Amino acid sequence: MKITHKKIYMASLVLLVLSGCKKFDDSVTVDPNNPTKAGTQLIANAELFLPGLSSSPYGVHYPQYLSNTSFTDNSRYVTINFNFASLYYGPLINLETVINSTTLDANEGAVVNQIAVAKILKAYFFWHMTDRWGDIPYSEALKGNGSFTPKYDKQQAIYNNLFTLLDEANAAIVSGTIKNDIIYNGDVNKWKRLGNTIHALMALRLSKVDPVKGSAEFNKAVANGMMTDNADNLTFQHLSNATNENYWYNSFTVLGRNWFAVSKPVVDYMQPLNDPRLSVYANKNTAGNYVGLDYGLPGSVTVVINNYSLLGSNLRLQNSPVALVTYAQSLFAMAEAAKLTWIGGGDAVAKTNYDKAIEYSIRQWKNNDVTGLAAYMANADVAYDAANGFKKIGNQRWIHLFLHGYEGWAEWRRTGFPNFLSPAPNNNGAQIPRREGYPTQERSLNSANYNAAVAAFPYLPGADDLNTRVWWDKP
Amino acid sequence: MNRKSLLILLGILTCYIVSYAQTTIKGKVTDDNKVGLPGVSVLLKGTTTGTSTNGDGTYSITIPSNTGVLVFKSIGFASQEAAVGSRTEINVQLISDAENLSEVVVTALGIKRSQKSIGYATQQVNGDNLTLTKEQNVIGSLAGKVAGVQVTGSSGASMGGTQKIKIRGVNAIDGSGQPLMVIDGTPTSQDNFSGNANGVDYGNVSQDINPEDIESVNVLKGPAASALYGIRGQYGVILITTKKGAKGPKNVSVSVNSAFSIEKVGNFLPLQNIYGVGNNQTFLTLTNGQKYINGNDESWGPVMDGTPVRMYYSFYPQDPQFGQLTPFVPQPDNIKDFYETGYNLNNGVSLTGGNENMNYRMGYTNAYINGTYPNTWLKRNNLNLSASLDVTKKLTVGANVNYANNSGQRPTQGYQGSFTGASQWFQRNLDINRLRDYKYADGTILNWNVNPNTTTGIITNNRPSDWNNPFFDAYESLNNDKRDRLFGDVNASYQILPELKVSGFVRSDMYTQSITHKEGLGGRLVDGYQVGKYQNTENNYEFLGQYNKNFNDLSVNINVGANLYTLDYSGQYQATVGGLSSPGWYSAAASVDRPVSVSEIRKKQIKSIYAMGSFGYKDIYFLDASIRNDVSSALPENNNSYWYPSVSGSFLFSELTKWKALSFGKLRASFAVAGSDLKVYQTVNTFGAGSSYNASTGAINTILVPDKLKNPFIKPSFANSFEIGLDLKFLKNRIGAEVTYYSQRNKDQILDLSVSGASGYDKYVINAGLIENKGVELSLTGRPIQSKLFTWDATFNFARNKNKIIELYPGIPVLQNDVANYSSQNIYLNSTEGQSFGNLIGPGYKIDAATGKVLLGTDYMPLFDTAKDFGSVLPQFTGGLQNTFKIGNFTLAAMIDFQKGGQFFSWSKMLSAKSGQAAETAAINDKGFNVRDPLASGGGVKINGISQATGQEVTAYVDARTYYRTNLGTRIYDEWIYSASYIKLREVSLGYTFEGKILAKTPFKAAKFAVIARNPVMIWQKAPKGLDPSELSSGSADISWIEKGELQTVRSFGVNLSLTF
Repeated sequence: MKITHKKIYMASLVLLVLSGCKKFDDSVTVDPNNPTKAGTQLIANAELFLPGLSSSPYGVHYPQYLSNTSFTDNSRYVTINFNFASLYYGPLINLETVINSTTLDANEGAVVNQIAVAKILKAYFFWHMTDRWGDIPYSEALKGNGSFTPKYDKQQAIYNNLFTLLDEANAAIVSGTIKNDIIYNGDVNKWKRLGNTIHALMALRLSKVDPVKGSAEFNKAVANGMMTDNADNLTFQHLSNATNENYWYNSFTVLGRNWFAVSKPVVDYMQPLNDPRLSVYANKNTAGNYVGLDYGLPGSVTVVINNYSLLGSNLRLQNSPVALVTYAQSLFAMAEAAKLTWIGGGDAVAKTNYDKAIEYSIRQWKNNDVTGLAAYMANADVAYDAANGFKKIGNQRWIHLFLHGYEGWAEWRRTGFPNFLSPAPNNNGAQIPRREGYPTQERSLNSANYNAAVAAFPYLPGADDLNTRVWWDKP
Repeated sequence: MNRKSLLILLGILTCYIVSYAQTTIKGKVTDDNKVGLPGVSVLLKGTTTGTSTNGDGTYSITIPSNTGVLVFKSIGFASQEAAVGSRTEINVQLISDAENLSEVVVTALGIKRSQKSIGYATQQVNGDNLTLTKEQNVIGSLAGKVAGVQVTGSSGASMGGTQKIKIRGVNAIDGSGQPLMVIDGTPTSQDNFSGNANGVDYGNVSQDINPEDIESVNVLKGPAASALYGIRGQYGVILITTKKGAKGPKNVSVSVNSAFSIEKVGNFLPLQNIYGVGNNQTFLTLTNGQKYINGNDESWGPVMDGTPVRMYYSFYPQDPQFGQLTPFVPQPDNIKDFYETGYNLNNGVSLTGGNENMNYRMGYTNAYINGTYPNTWLKRNNLNLSASLDVTKKLTVGANVNYANNSGQRPTQGYQGSFTGASQWFQRNLDINRLRDYKYADGTILNWNVNPNTTTGIITNNRPSDWNNPFFDAYESLNNDKRDRLFGDVNASYQILPELKVSGFVRSDMYTQSITHKEGLGGRLVDGYQVGKYQNTENNYEFLGQYNKNFNDLSVNINVGANLYTLDYSGQYQATVGGLSSPGWYSAAASVDRPVSVSEIRKKQIKSIYAMGSFGYKDIYFLDASIRNDVSSALPENNNSYWYPSVSGSFLFSELTKWKALSFGKLRASFAVAGSDLKVYQTVNTFGAGSSYNASTGAINTILVPDKLKNPFIKPSFANSFEIGLDLKFLKNRIGAEVTYYSQRNKDQILDLSVSGASGYDKYVINAGLIENKGVELSLTGRPIQSKLFTWDATFNFARNKNKIIELYPGIPVLQNDVANYSSQNIYLNSTEGQSFGNLIGPGYKIDAATGKVLLGTDYMPLFDTAKDFGSVLPQFTGGLQNTFKIGNFTLAAMIDFQKGGQFFSWSKMLSAKSGQAAETAAINDKGFNVRDPLASGGGVKINGISQATGQEVTAYVDARTYYRTNLGTRIYDEWIYSASYIKLREVSLGYTFEGKILAKTPFKAAKFAVIARNPVMIWQKAPKGLDPSELSSGSADISWIEKGELQTVRSFGVNLSLTF
């Protein structure tokens, strides 16, 4: 037997030699299908995710911009858990890769500018996310195999980190352009102003919970230079092709679904004031009138679509742009900051900014057509008055933020304006949401951190649902 | 020198006994019908002196003396012995013995071994057992025939759709792991171009093996059997041997086979026929006051009482019934009537022959299926050629070539885009025949899922929101596929010494697959065209040295080999975006926007060497040992070489006992290591291509970080397996039993681990985990009745497997295998440490802990939990029972297979309730009222539970629509998850064999006629009517756990005629 084994061994040895070494040719081992080098193209890919932060069939219902004509579950808050994962492994990992890259190519624009733009976008995405979910993974997130179970950071810490991130970007930017920029065609000065505007809007979010910090950060942003014109707006320009088309175009025209009408609260607020923007926001019904659809009807009610105002046709063209952070928004912020005495000038400065905000909102929505502006401003319900300053700013901002549901909802949660929204009727007592639930995947994939986060909610510990408030939404 | 003398020479050479008085014996071996039997082995007992019979059954053997005993053995016959004595002519009639498991079995690398010498479990199925009822896919015809093999089939309507096979449970934590298919020694691809449960099921490419060409299938169940396949053998191996001609005196025979069957759909979900379309029971009205039906896809509407209404077609000015009212009445058969009666035609011819120094076989089969889904068909041609030629006495060359050509036009299945969704969302009042002429003369498509303008009474937007006219889908939305496949080998072997042979093989498996989809203009999607072309070539260059020698009582068999495996794949895919620039121009060039264009190349090599030694002592004790080394290019370069050993032994204790009833008894045990590696390019991270944005300043081509993080430290995964078994045969082999216990531990599994997306990645390629399978397999064979007129043969297979996930990844005790989402509710297929593989986790009843009853909210509707555990998708046991009765010339064969347990989720059943179509949504409650009647007048669904608010038990009546649509049909999955337990009569064949005088008057040597039925009856199933738990496989997903609208069950009945000239 021993001899036999020896024979096998010898034979194996011979064959091992015959079969060659353990090397393989590169043509076999190297992946020929994918790129190995990227810089600003990663930023461009992250930018493709921007319109999704606004064009959502969920967010658009919370501040009641749109009502469902059929399949009304979304407007009745049926969905509790929302997935944030795709924002991390979508845009954020691209941006993080750029921020940490040591191989960025200066031929695509100054390396510091590439990194600064990535930081501004990172801050913007995270800001959106923490406002929806509250405490989320931040400091241990985006580390790949460095941590597959990142802890959840407190929203306060995330805000502080994002302020720092925006400061770094502001300080780093040098003159020049970057390549492959879908938003500003590489104009880094616009990026700089955007970063500071985001900084200011974030600071204002702290008005209820930490006005001291809010004021300080707000003033820093103002000093660093915010948006100066609608041309500075963060707008995603959709294109007339299927790959880059507007979400609402896809829903109405590609899928043929007339599922979204402008809500009754919006139409009923705008119509008596002859708001010039109503003709953009809403179509007339077949009888030729603007009629808003009751918000959040139960599914058993049959809605005759012809009787209501569907979402305005120009907002759902294939290439209709999506506005995300706007000059008018920054003017409303200035007005409110003045009213809050975070900046000087009191009601006078508040009024100046408020008036200008409405003008630039109309310019934005109506392509610089300001017909009817003066008459509109003359309405008693529109004209600024110090006693109702916060309310008027709040209501006008709500109108201005039309279709950008998540932002309108955040401002409603913070300010309580508009104060005439009622939750969907006959819905087992469900209230308008104040937060979105964590993705259900986290319960199994990141359970310890998930449980710790839920247990440490700031105001209503232990309930991962739609009613828990985020940190800045102090009751 | 002729072949006979060559055999004699070989006999002499291999005999180490000095011969002094040689005797030559001649004779003829015949079967029960006194027909000469070729290929019978004739051995001088206790020696290796032997020969085999020629084509006519004659033999000649020269033996050293006349004191010996000759042993005659042939597969399927009882062995006989004859003392030589003074005779020089010995004629023998062998008695057929179906119970006698084939003495010779094909083992790894195509090495033929005697059954008794094998120390591990293999199970063989003969070819005629696979073609009983003309099942298209060979995997499907294995169902129930091999203990420990679980086959998950698909509906016959998919025409060769995916058939999944798992040997000994799930051995890969991610649920993947298909056995390697080896045909005449050539490993073949098992690719599958289907998507998951939605879409077109093209089937696994193993369907290119023509069942008619198969001599036998041998299943190597555990790593001990498959260890010689090393890195490719972890999940078992299916060895297929094709039919061959016989060497000997010149012989030629021609066989013709023809089968025809018709195919009928059946097994529909029970639906209600009282209420029609709508969200509530009030009719909608047009401005002119007429009642009308809109394009809603729910049946919660008014009673279908014949009220005159404007139907969808009355809103098309092109329609003869434009503007007219028609009665609102139920259409009970509106789903069934969509389907057609299909047929299946299968014709084959084969030529088998040989002469002194060569053998050959040529087979051609043509199959055509006209599907039950309108406008679907499949054509298939199979050509098989095998030949072997003795060039010289020592050099033999041969070739096996198989060519298959498929083209099909197949149905879409699943949730949307097909009529398989009709039981999910539809109107009970739609007359399917009214939709049949789907296009008006001016090109306008007739749609039901659209709404009229209530003032003009005309459809203004003719784009359906969710559902096309099903006939539009069938005739304008076409899925075509075509594949040319060539596989086989050329080989040469040289007999250096009588005991030493070397062989070389060049093996290849290559195919070109093309898939197209045309989306016509006028449906809910923009028109478009998709085209993919995929080429795959797998080659194996193989060397094998075989040494056989007997040293007195010791037999030695040593094999050494080396193999180089190469994979070369390329794929091209293009799809139009944004529509076609000219209707009907189906070309990528017609794309309105920039078309999608993807190309992919994959290359892989594995270098292997291996050796195996088997030793027998006195034909009683046997010991095998093998070792293999694999070097894979898919592994990290510095860590790509791994060894796979195995050892097994068997002991024929029956040789030592005197108990006459026991004709065969073997105890066997084995231990082995097998493995598997990973797909190519998984060890180095790259970027990926994102979509393109055409800015005014020029195109921006975005690049992204892929969602999957790769791993440069990956190792192959290993399976350690131990098994022990007992094979027994009694009463001259009339009763047989094989029982095996096994335990297999698969460690370092290569997984795409789902990780928290907050890490920046969705998945991470890892080595992790340990999954264990323990189980018992039992195979019983018997001939309870044996007489001249009537015999009854039965085979019973049974396997029980227990699966446990012992460990996963540190910090992540749960692996998310799969997820499905509907109405914002997620259901997960999760594998959790400490539990068995694959539990379904989803929303369901919130239960009161104290009473176990359902908790109810303030409106008495059931409350729900989002993460309830509904149990494992794995079956507890599987098996089959095969009976063959022979009465005179009639043969009746029936195949039953069964499965216990294994959970699955039925999307169809859930949605049929949600949409108000299911029968239970219009049931009569205990007060005698329809549940849809108003609560105030006695209607409503009776519900009992614990009020969450008060903690008290309550019984209440609740609104049927809210109950089924908003609650049960949305988030109470307890109601829609079922056990897949079933007992199914899968195949029945009643045949008549013509013989004797009738045959003598014809030119035929043999003739057989049979009536066949495939899938005739589901004898019992635990899941509700309308679902088929044995046909859950509907795509390439590793585990079939969700039914999203499977193709309708098909039952086929036909006839089969075989003739041999």
